[in-house]
Formats: sequence, C-alpha cells, structure tokens
Amino acid sequence: MKRRTFLQLSGMTAASALLAGCQSKNEKLIPCLIPPDEGITPGRATYYASSCTFCPAGCGIVVRVSEGRAKKIEGNPAHPVNRGKLCARGQAILQELYHPDRIGQPLKRTGSRGSGEFQKITWAEALGLLTVKLKELQRGRTTNSLAMLTPQLSGSMAALAGGFMRSFGSPHLLSYELLAPDWLRRATRTSFGQPGLPFYDLAETRYLLSFGADFVESHLSPVQYGNAFGRMRQERDTVRGHFTYVGGRLSLTAASADRWMPARPGSEGALALGMVRLILAEALHDNAALAAHGLKPEILLGRLKSHELPHVAGLTGLSKESIAEVAREFATTRPSLAMAGDGLAFQTNGQESVRAVQLLNLVAGNLNRPGGVYPAGASGGPDSSFGDLAALVRTMNAGGIAVALIKGDPRHAIPPATGFQGALDKVPFVVSFATLLDDTALQADLILPDHAVLESWGDVIPQSGSRQMVYGLIQPVVTPLHDTRQFGDLLLAAASELGGGVAAALPWKSSRELVRGTVRKRFASTRGGDFDTQWVELLRRGGQFDAGTKAATVYRWALAAAFPAPDLPAFAGDEMQFPLHLQVYASTAFHDGRGAPLPWLQQLPDPMSTVVWGSWVEINPATAAGLGISHGDLVEVTSSRSTLRLPAVIYPGIRPDLVAIPLGQGHKGAGRYAAGRGVNPLELLVLPEGSEQAWNATRVRVARISWKGDLVPAGHPQGSYRSDLVGI
Amino acid sequence: MKKTWFILVVVCSGAALCGALVLLYILPLDFREHSPVQPIAFSHAVHAGSNAIPCRYCHRSVDKSLLAGIPSVMECRACHLYIAPESPEIKKVMHYWETKEPVPWVRVNSLPDHVYFPHMMHVRAGIECSVCHGQVAGMERVSRTATLKMGWCLGCHRLHRASIDCWTCHI
Repeated sequence: MKRRTFLQLSGMTAASALLAGCQSKNEKLIPCLIPPDEGITPGRATYYASSCTFCPAGCGIVVRVSEGRAKKIEGNPAHPVNRGKLCARGQAILQELYHPDRIGQPLKRTGSRGSGEFQKITWAEALGLLTVKLKELQRGRTTNSLAMLTPQLSGSMAALAGGFMRSFGSPHLLSYELLAPDWLRRATRTSFGQPGLPFYDLAETRYLLSFGADFVESHLSPVQYGNAFGRMRQERDTVRGHFTYVGGRLSLTAASADRWMPARPGSEGALALGMVRLILAEALHDNAALAAHGLKPEILLGRLKSHELPHVAGLTGLSKESIAEVAREFATTRPSLAMAGDGLAFQTNGQESVRAVQLLNLVAGNLNRPGGVYPAGASGGPDSSFGDLAALVRTMNAGGIAVALIKGDPRHAIPPATGFQGALDKVPFVVSFATLLDDTALQADLILPDHAVLESWGDVIPQSGSRQMVYGLIQPVVTPLHDTRQFGDLLLAAASELGGGVAAALPWKSSRELVRGTVRKRFASTRGGDFDTQWVELLRRGGQFDAGTKAATVYRWALAAAFPAPDLPAFAGDEMQFPLHLQVYASTAFHDGRGAPLPWLQQLPDPMSTVVWGSWVEINPATAAGLGISHGDLVEVTSSRSTLRLPAVIYPGIRPDLVAIPLGQGHKGAGRYAAGRGVNPLELLVLPEGSEQAWNATRVRVARISWKGDLVPAGHPQGSYRSDLVGI
Repeated sequence: MKKTWFILVVVCSGAALCGALVLLYILPLDFREHSPVQPIAFSHAVHAGSNAIPCRYCHRSVDKSLLAGIPSVMECRACHLYIAPESPEIKKVMHYWETKEPVPWVRVNSLPDHVYFPHMMHVRAGIECSVCHGQVAGMERVSRTATLKMGWCLGCHRLHRASIDCWTCHI
C-alpha cells in the first residue's frame, strides 16, 4: 500500500468513527412481558427494614427496592444500635446478592476433593443424599458422629441449629468465629459471675482509656461505638472527652486518640494493674464503689506489691511519668471508662489482662454508672468455643465424625495450627451451605447453596450495642435470584424427612414460620391485639426496639473471684531466630475475611495504609531500615510454622519490635474477586502450649526478597502519618 | 521568516479547530428520528382516537411514578385474544408472547440522564398529556412534537409559576 493511500484510508476511518460517535440513535423502550406484581409501580422504590448479619453487632438496615431489585442499603434510623448509620461492610452486603459467582443450584463433588469438579444436581437429589447419610447414622446408632459448624448465630437460627443437633442426638455443635468475644464473656463470668457482654456508655464518658479495643473498626458494635465516640467528643458544649489508647499498633481507633501508649505486646494487663496500684496508693479510688463490691483497698494494695511503677514501666516499655499521669487522669476524671479489646485479649495472658482492666474500672468507680460500663441487654452467648473447637478436632482426628454440616468458611477462618483443616479432611462426608465456592465448599462433598441475607428470613439479637434488649428481624427484600434454599429451611426439611423425634422437636415448615413463632412467643403475651397486625408492624419497623430495660442487672464483683493476675506473656518461636512479634488484626473492610469476596470492599482503601486489593505487612521504619526494606518491597515473613510472601508497608505507627498483617485475604476460592488474592496470616500462627485464642502470640522474622511487591495503594499516605501521636 | 509562517499556521489551525468544536456544539446534531418506525404498527389513532380509550388505561403509573409506564405484552394480548386476532399486526404481538420476548418499542421522547423528570408531579398539577406529547389521539405513528430542550421546559415552568431553580430538575 502506498503511503498516500494509507493516510487517506486512516483519515476516512477516523472521520467516520467521529461521525458515528456523534450520531445519537433512538433508544429502545422495553416493556414487561408480564405485568409486575400488585404493589410494584415501575419507577417507584419500596423500602424494607431488615437487619445486617455481616458482623454480630446486628445493625438495623433499610433496603431500597425498585422493580423487585434491591438497589441500596442504609441504616435504619429507628434502630437503637446504629441510629440510621451503617458501615461500609453493611452497605456492601448488596453485592453478596448479586455476586456473579454465586452457586445457583446444589452441587455434588465428582472429582477428588479440592479439584473443584462438581456436578449440578436437583434439590430432590441433594436432599436425598443428605437424608440418606443422616438416616445411616440413625440406623447405626452413631448419631453422635454428626458435627455442625456455624458462625455465632443468635435468635431463632441459633435455637434451630441447637434443636436440630439435640434432637438428632449429637453434642458436636460448634459456633465458632475467629474474632468472637468469647474471652470477654469468660472474663466477665469469672469476675462478676454473669455471662454476657458489656455495654460501654461511651457517649457520656469524659475519659476513655482503650486497651487495644478498636471500637471504630471492629470491636463488638463498631457503628454504635463509632457514633458514640463522636458524641463523646463533640455533643457536649463544655466537655470534649479525652481518649488514650494503649496498644502496639496505631489502628484507626488509636489514630483518633489524644495519647498513644505503645505498650509491649502482652504487657497491657500489667499496665492496668500498675495503674490500679497507683490509684489505690494515692487514694484516688472510689471508696463507695470498692465497698459496694466487697473489696478493701488495703487488701488490694497488698496483692499489688509487685506492680510498683518502675517495674511496670520496665515491663511495658513506657515511661513512668506517662503511666502515672494517665492513671491519675483516669481516676480523677469522672466518669471515666476503660475498654479491653482484641489487642490484649489475643495473648496467652489475655484472659487475666482483660480482668485487670475490669478491676481498673471497678477501682475508679466506673461500673453501673452513666459514662461507665453496664451489662449489655443481650445476655449469654458461647464463651468457650475455642475449647469446643479443640475438642471437635480431637474427635475428628479419632474418626469420630462421619458427617459434617458446615455453614461459613472455617477452612479459611480457623488457624491451621489448631489442626482443624487436617482433621476435616478425615471426615468422610462434608456438606457445605455456602453461597460461593469458598475454601470450605471447594473441599466439600455436597454443596447446598444458601440464600443471600437479603433473600432470607431470620432474626438477630444485637450483641453489646445497647443496654436494652433489642430484637431485630431479617426479612427477604427480593425474590430469590437463584435456585437456592435457606440454611434454616434445609435443616427443617431434613428434620421432617428424618421423622420421629427430630421432626417432633422441629415442627415448623419454614424459617419464616419459625421466626413468626419466636415473635409470637416473645411479644404476643406482652401486648394485646391481633397477632397478624403486630407481625406486619414489627416487619415494617425491622424488629422490636423498645422491649424495655431489662430487670436492673448490674455488675458486682464475685466474692469467689480470684484476683486478676496476668502472667508474663508466652510467645511461640525462639527470640533469637524470630525477633519480631506478629499481630494479626481485623481488616476494616473484610472483618475476619467474610467481606473479601465483595469487590466494593476490596476496593475500599485501608484507612491507615490506603492499600486496596491485597495484603501487606506493616513494619516500623527503624526496623525496616535495619533489614534494608523499603516501602512496597516484597518481603518474606517466616514463623516456626510457615512462610508467607507479601509487600511491605513502612508504617511509623507500629512498635519497632512488632509487625502486623491484616486478616481476611488469601482465599483459595470464594469467587473471582477473592480467590488467590493476598495471603492469609493465620497460616503463620503458632499457638503456645495451653493457650486459647492467642492469635497474637507468634514470633516471626522478616527478610527482603525483591523490590517487586505489587503493592496497590490508593494514595500517598506518608503525609498523613505526620501525627503528634507517632514518636517512638 | 519560516518561523512566522509556522506560528501563523498553528494559530490558524487552532482557531479552525475551536470554530469546528463551537459549530459542533451549536448545530442541531440530533439525528434521532422524530417518528421512528415501530416493531409493530401500533396506532394511537385507533386506540386513543376512534376507540377513545383514556391514556391512563394503558399508561397506568403516570400519576404514581416518574415513568408513565407502558403496558406489558400480556396486557396487549388479553384484549386482542378477542379483538381482531387475525390481523397481521396482532399476529406479531402474539408471536412476541409465544416466544416470551418483550416488544422492542423505539423510544420517541427521551430526556438525558441528568434531567429529573417525574411524570406524576406534572399530571397531578393538572398538565394535560397533550401539552408535551401533542395530539397523540390523532397520530397513526407517534411522533415527537416538542423540542424537549431546557428552554422549552423553562418556558412552561415560568408560565405556570413552577420552580425554575437548577436543583428542581438537575438533582
């Protein structure tokens, strides 16, 4: 072709493309084939109240639905826990509904386990497979070899799972979550003789002292406490509450503090006791409170002899002056409030450290007071699920489990150091109720896909977000998109197939009927009138929010309670070989990993490092300089158990002897957005002998591999690190 | 000397480009058809004209929703099972129903995405359909009668003392 022809031709192509682009065409106007259902007007949105189940906080949501499609989720303004606010995770559950990789119908494994080869089957066939297995167990009188694993459910679904297992005759029901506040329930039971979680009256307090409780991101009820924190700072005309944060890593919560005390990992309990001793020694304590709890300052002081200020300063690596100052401020500012969180709980001495913080609250007179700590409205909940997990692993290893029914993704969310993954491989028949082919479903023999939350019936009792008993309802806002069935409905279907005692114990036909029954039992007696009207009204509002303050429960120090005595923390790994502590923390976007399949959350920049779509390890600049690591380098983190490769983030807001990796990534499955992305730091964890939930007790070493870390930050955060708080 | 020429040429071509762009903006480059051919020769003149079916019998959500709404294929069929089932155009409707496909009508009146136009507010304010849509009852094939440009909207808003704040329509 001649040069001239080529130019002419390309010119003509460009011109015609330009013209075609300008030319606007008439659009199409596509009508419905069948008129929409009664009550649906095209172009007019309907709003449904429901509840968020992403985390156990149980916030109320309002979903906008247009033409039968869920479009947007906001907080329910009438809900006492979140007061119309909602976090990014709650907004993103819309994407669970529309996820392109959702399992649309039951699947049966055809290839070897983990090969990902499945065959689509009908529901009749799938339920047949399940009931045949269950009937085999019944016939062989080995009903106790059925195991069920669920997240920590509340309300009717917890009762249903419990009722199913009890009537079937198996004790192996495990409600397990990695970040479950079992430690807090257990500590509260030991100290005050009652289970249940605390409600912190953050909004009314004047001095907040958080021991590793990241209440803005993930602790207990983040929307409630984030909102209350704002009110503590700005709602009162003359008072701006003071906030001190204790913990080795500057989290988003810590970055909002007035003072940051980066105590050595595992020393926070000793710090709390040191403060108690100083308050008592200087007679700044609340005498009336001590008397009310049956404690005597002299006796306490005698117990605290070893927690002299210089000793505590040595343990924590903080200055004597700052510890004394904070202790005095805490005791003299009323009301004040101390919170204990994941940061100190996930150590080998976590349990006792949490109790030390409870004692600190007691001594300063913060229990059962406005601006202090109350027992939360919702009582109960599992407090030893880690022990149950260990027991289940032993049973599975001994071949005592023949069928495992699994809701959730424990293969990803349980540290392999517990031996769970290997033990599950020995279970001959694994059933998963996943919505996506997650790590657990990939290794399952039968997959019975669950509805998305927005297609389900249920109820939720929010934990810790309110002093009152709150009851939230979950209702379907759209017709199910796929041929899926709700977990609860499947249990009920299986129960009716099994017949006998199981069917008699679970007489409901569907989850809807079950929830309706719960509501009838709970509320019909308290108010007169027609139940159907009440039911519709409760669904309209999203639950029962003014159930009244529960009979005045207060905290009272149990007389038999031992004095909190946190030992020195134990760490797994030799100090010479593995010089750094590892902290794993709940990711702002994914919590413990359940949010990773949703692209909105993958795209949500981490508030401190601005990283998106991946994992990273946070290293102090001084430590990094010593190891020759710069921002974005690929590094290798090694513990005595495993090795991971991931990019480094140079972060001044972390102790030099600490590195931190966020939880949530490193899925093998769970859809196209999560699979194979980032790393799962749980693989590194080693649990010291005899410890429970000690996720932060592992030592690691870090080495530089190359400059190619493929870190994707959404901004250049170095500027925002210039904070008065950072000055180690 | 060469340099001056070069600068002159650059300036001229720049001005020409700007002129072309301005022209592109001013010229009525709306190539959309005012009266497009529809997949079925549906006659408003027959339905709304000779048979005097009220507009809202089919465009049902006009006083409830942003959209006036167009009847579903099932509703067309419901009447035409009995009325003129043998006509070739009706057979097309039945074919759509049998293949379970909606009729791909071609849009005649359309507003850009940055305009918020709620039908219900206008209908409730007592504006007749024909003010914007013309005498549809006399049209064999519907054609656009209004320009649907902002000046045209504002003229009517001023006349009826409706709000002419930007945020009224551009929300």
